[in-house]
Amino acid sequence: MSEQLVPQERRDDRVLPDQVTMGLLPYLTAHAVDEDYAEVAARRPDGPGRTSRPPIGVAGAVALAVFAALAVTAAVQTSQNSVSQEHERRALVDQVKQRKAAVDADRRTVTRLRAETRRLEAELVRNSRDSGSVLAELGLLSMRAGTAAVRGPGVEIVVDDARDATSDSSHVLDIDLQKIVNGLWRAGAEAISINGQRLTALSPIRHGGQGITVNFRELTRPYRVLAIGDRLTLPSRFVDTTSGQAWLDAQRQVGLRFSMRTQSSLRLPAANLPVFRYAEPGPTAQEKRSS
Amino acid sequence: MIAVIGLLLGVGLGLFLKPDVPIGLEPYLPIAVVAALDAVFGAARAFLDGIFNDRVFVVSFISNVFIAALIVFLGDKLGVGAQLSTGVIVVLGIRIFSNVAAIRRHLFHA
Repeated sequence: MSEQLVPQERRDDRVLPDQVTMGLLPYLTAHAVDEDYAEVAARRPDGPGRTSRPPIGVAGAVALAVFAALAVTAAVQTSQNSVSQEHERRALVDQVKQRKAAVDADRRTVTRLRAETRRLEAELVRNSRDSGSVLAELGLLSMRAGTAAVRGPGVEIVVDDARDATSDSSHVLDIDLQKIVNGLWRAGAEAISINGQRLTALSPIRHGGQGITVNFRELTRPYRVLAIGDRLTLPSRFVDTTSGQAWLDAQRQVGLRFSMRTQSSLRLPAANLPVFRYAEPGPTAQEKRSS
Repeated sequence: MIAVIGLLLGVGLGLFLKPDVPIGLEPYLPIAVVAALDAVFGAARAFLDGIFNDRVFVVSFISNVFIAALIVFLGDKLGVGAQLSTGVIVVLGIRIFSNVAAIRRHLFHA
């Protein structure tokens, strides 16, 4: 392309304007001042060759004033911007410092809370150990009180009226059952039930209505007394007690039926106890001493 | 004399009034100032050359400022505002330098 242009350019270089023939930078340098000045001056009647300088008019002064105002405004604006940027930077730095302090405080809080969590966890472990022992004690106590079902080895005693029961003495009475129960407690029984009624400290054995009531429930014969305890020693120790002796006598004289068998596994239900409404736990020995 | 009065008046106005430039025009102010500077130095050189003319000065001043701002505005709209600003600054800077060189030759004959 340039090979075609170069010879043409050489032929016509006298008519081509400066923009084409000169490079950009030399052209800019050569035509730094507006050419209108030269053209207008050439059109003047006295021609361009005059030496006296033309005066600057009001319009030129106004344009200069506008220029000065523009420059000052730009400078003022830039300095204001830099000032406001500095302000913003300082505000940001302050904010960063504040946030850092807040983060530090939060971190301290986290550390503190972690320590507290560890402490509370240790306490929880301790408490759960304690509560385990409390629960175990509660289980023992409720077994003892009869409010929990229990199982274990023991003896089964079945008593009944005599075969040809005619008089009161040939019937099993409440006092007979009381004797059996007392004898069993003496012999080391840990839990006793009569016909499925668990005996507690509040269980009466009474004669009422048609027969014997235990826990205010009427029982029908035969009476099946279950006692949990050492099945090797319980029968012999029971027989050794006075109530056991009395029963053996009654069996011989009146004909009350009595049978005792050891059982390897017995299940005794829990007693239905009334809810305590007035009784409260009494003061412990320590509290008594301190008061 | 009247030129110096005009300059001082402009400086005083700018300092005293502290006109608040609208935020939309703010990016065009520096380039407008550079363009005006080019017009002013061109006028000074023409004055020293003895070919100064009020009308040409005012027209070149206004057109310089307006075109410089327009080019930057277009560049902003096209996404090449920074590059076009640089180009305008380069061209105007070269002109200013060569004008100042001519003025220097006039004043100091060097």
